[in-house]
Amino acid sequence: MYDELEFSHCSHSKDPIIGCALEGVANVIAGIKDVSIIIHSPQGCASTVATAFDKHEIDFTRRKVGCTRLFETDIIMGASEKLASMIREADRTFNSKVMFIVGTCSADIIGEDIDGLCREMQPEIKARLIPVMAGGFRGDSFAGIDMGLEALLPLIPKQEIKLVNKVNLILPQSNLNPTWQADLLWVKEVLREMGVDVLSVLPHNMALEELEEAGLASANILLSHDAGYKFVRKLEERHQIPFILGDVPLPVGLSNTARWLRAAGGYFGAEEKAEEIITRGEKLVVDTLRKRALMIIPRYRNCRVALSADATLGIGMVRMLFEELEMIPELVLLHSGTQEARELLVNELNELGLTSGVAFSVDGYQLKQAISEAKTDVVIGSAWEKYMAEEAGIKTSFDLLSPTNRDVYMDRAYFGYEGMLNMLEVFGNDWERSYRSKAINWEQFA
Amino acid sequence: MSIETTFSDSIVFHGPLSELYQLAKEGKIKTSLQGSHTRPCKFWTATKILSGIQNSVIIAHGPSGCAFGVKKAYKLTNSRNSGSPYEAVISTNIDMKGVVYGGEKELKGAIREVDNKYHPDVIFVSTSCATGIIGDNVDAVVDSLKDEVNAEIMTIHCEGFAGEYRSGFDLVFKQLVRLMEPRDPKRTAALAKSVNIVGGKMGPERTEVDTDVKELVRLVEGMGAHINSVIAGNCTLEELKNAPSVAVNCTLCLDLGYTIGKEMKETFGTPLNSTILPYGISATERWLREAAKYLGMEDEAEALIASEYGAIQQEIEDAKAQLEGKLAIVEAHDAIKALSIAHMLEKDFGMRVVIYNFHPWSTEARETSIDYLLETGMDPEVLITKGTLKFGKYESMKQTEEELLAFLGSVDPASTVYFGSSLSYPAIPVVDLNAILNRPRFGFRGALKVAQCILTSMQYSFRPRSWLTKKMVFPEQSQGLASASSLTPKWSEEAPDCTLYAAERRKGRCMMN
Repeated sequence: MYDELEFSHCSHSKDPIIGCALEGVANVIAGIKDVSIIIHSPQGCASTVATAFDKHEIDFTRRKVGCTRLFETDIIMGASEKLASMIREADRTFNSKVMFIVGTCSADIIGEDIDGLCREMQPEIKARLIPVMAGGFRGDSFAGIDMGLEALLPLIPKQEIKLVNKVNLILPQSNLNPTWQADLLWVKEVLREMGVDVLSVLPHNMALEELEEAGLASANILLSHDAGYKFVRKLEERHQIPFILGDVPLPVGLSNTARWLRAAGGYFGAEEKAEEIITRGEKLVVDTLRKRALMIIPRYRNCRVALSADATLGIGMVRMLFEELEMIPELVLLHSGTQEARELLVNELNELGLTSGVAFSVDGYQLKQAISEAKTDVVIGSAWEKYMAEEAGIKTSFDLLSPTNRDVYMDRAYFGYEGMLNMLEVFGNDWERSYRSKAINWEQFA
Repeated sequence: MSIETTFSDSIVFHGPLSELYQLAKEGKIKTSLQGSHTRPCKFWTATKILSGIQNSVIIAHGPSGCAFGVKKAYKLTNSRNSGSPYEAVISTNIDMKGVVYGGEKELKGAIREVDNKYHPDVIFVSTSCATGIIGDNVDAVVDSLKDEVNAEIMTIHCEGFAGEYRSGFDLVFKQLVRLMEPRDPKRTAALAKSVNIVGGKMGPERTEVDTDVKELVRLVEGMGAHINSVIAGNCTLEELKNAPSVAVNCTLCLDLGYTIGKEMKETFGTPLNSTILPYGISATERWLREAAKYLGMEDEAEALIASEYGAIQQEIEDAKAQLEGKLAIVEAHDAIKALSIAHMLEKDFGMRVVIYNFHPWSTEARETSIDYLLETGMDPEVLITKGTLKFGKYESMKQTEEELLAFLGSVDPASTVYFGSSLSYPAIPVVDLNAILNRPRFGFRGALKVAQCILTSMQYSFRPRSWLTKKMVFPEQSQGLASASSLTPKWSEEAPDCTLYAAERRKGRCMMN
């Protein structure tokens, strides 16, 4: 059984490392093509919405965002008229098919009737208006993602028939790979090889019309362990679309990729094809590492690791680090804490015989405390954990996850076989740099 | 609009700055920012200043998103660019229950916890929209704990809806004065040859880049004086307490430096040296001479000016020979810099300046700088086109670009230089003073950088602009929309000074407009 870490002085104060519900809601909306967003809020909230558009890398010439910029008098007197004028102006300018009207904390608390206004205005507005109330106080960004998905549910019509070997992929963006789009692509590719087509990616680069087809899918695959569970369960209840592969970690590392592929192959009757992909992939990893990375064996063996990650990548990485790289994940610090993620991680740790220190839904203080106290050899996380490691006197940290200080131009998967090599390349380069001294005074060698 | 369209159709305003300023004051030109042009709110701007105070902790009383956003933007940018340690921004994490029943209990707990776990010198409790609306009595909570906690503690009422972008800066700069201690003979004697640089934002400048602040520090020290503090650029509580006793406060950013400088002058009698941003020879000389007057170091200042100017004189004169009498188009996306650059180009290089697309909203946000410019006898032309005021449009976008090209069609390209973003593509020399290689921009070394930058741009203006980069900025199927938030990330990553920030590696926006 793992050792759940406890932290003092954390009951009332949080140093958040993830955004609020508004960011989550916007993260879902920004995944839909040809939409515009009107944020009914003070102007600062617009930056949160911009973060969501950044996550999907929406081209800067195609962002259609307006904000009512609420000020004190609006808060006191209400600002429905202001919102109505902005909706009209945005409809004229943006020409989008759909316009989401999103209320944030202020609009939510003062009770602006966004639903009613949208209903009233719909006949005169070309775009379809979809109201969402997303006060940041309603939860963190993972809760916001669930709220955003909930808003999409009524747009999915019931379908009597199901198409064989057609699936929906859910929430590819809830993943801290800086180029998570490559993970989505890997999943699509291996499914295609197994004869499975993707009907809809909910929601990334998705036309609203695709939602109408989503009900035809014969299975849903959730690509996150951090959010989306409520949504897939509701799709199961209301649309009789089974949620599959939920009981194995996402395909990170050799063993987990093989498990995931075998589970998928088993479900879709493509066992042989799954084995073929596994054999080919494992050969690629072994051959590449034999040629270029023999040094990782003495380098990583029994290296004590603190891992800080989202559950999506973090859970799968535990086995990869321990079994495949012979590292020792002493700390596993996950940024979320769904019941499903907890159970998956517990199963993994128990199977591996690990009693790592574990914390869920960690904040910045807890991360820093845990890293400073454990004093592991290596910290794996984002640029933020790198700063914490430096302060704790830990020489080596792998800047693997978002937000990273690395420039990544080409999309690189972390899922699958090339994905494992991509991660190891980051490990390798950061390891090299951590032992290159900048402090040595050259004059002494003159 | 196409380039062929008559340019006059696109003009919203063309006249002297003073006229625009008057129209704005009289409400005869719309000064509000369109809904697609959001700026950081009062909470963000307030916490930006607070992020420049060492060993302080901000408790954002509200939902977690507000604290997370500013931490990403300010604290973590400090870590990346300046090597400062990871610093928290705390949230009371108000949820639905807190909104309904109030969050005062949470705030009390948070203050105690922060005092215990971070041991800060100061705790700033900043209010957010949510707790402002529900009416939590933050002052009462803070007062009740003042004797209990070890840190000094201060409430900052900065709900995002409670004022325009600029108001958060002003609020905090005024309130910081309450942490200061009055001038006394012992301190004033010790600090008789010291200055504060005031109006700085956001943290330390330990970076390899030659920033503007570093250049001002170098000049002050070159005169033989000392810096007590850069407020609020990584200053300590101790420095703040001593701050009123210096010989003079010198403004970094005129607008913001003036706010705190005026407050300190009224409260403690600390003299204030407030001139325009020290871009160019004339502004730098004035900045130094004013400082020297209060330091009693006029001779040292003259010697420094002579030596610094002597080192760059030739190149400045070369640049002036090529620029005098020419037309300078100064892009005003960054309003305060545009005004300062206009000042430099006219005073140092004898150019005729047109400030292009100065949003009328900036007349209010940059009132101090405009007043200063007009008082010193400068009244540059301002040209505003429709694109700048259009909903959904901004900065380097198709409409303003085409309007710029149309305007340039009416002027002589051989005698015109464009001072603005290199993401614009006019067929004349483009001088981008935001580029990382062009730092510092302040002081004599800055003037030299500017001169070199101008000369290089003119020397290589025969080279057509890259089709590659042009396609990057203006894709063929462009819908013509663009936002500052999307186009500035690379600048903000590379410019670790107070003018820019980046929320994440590939994100960010310019804060100075």
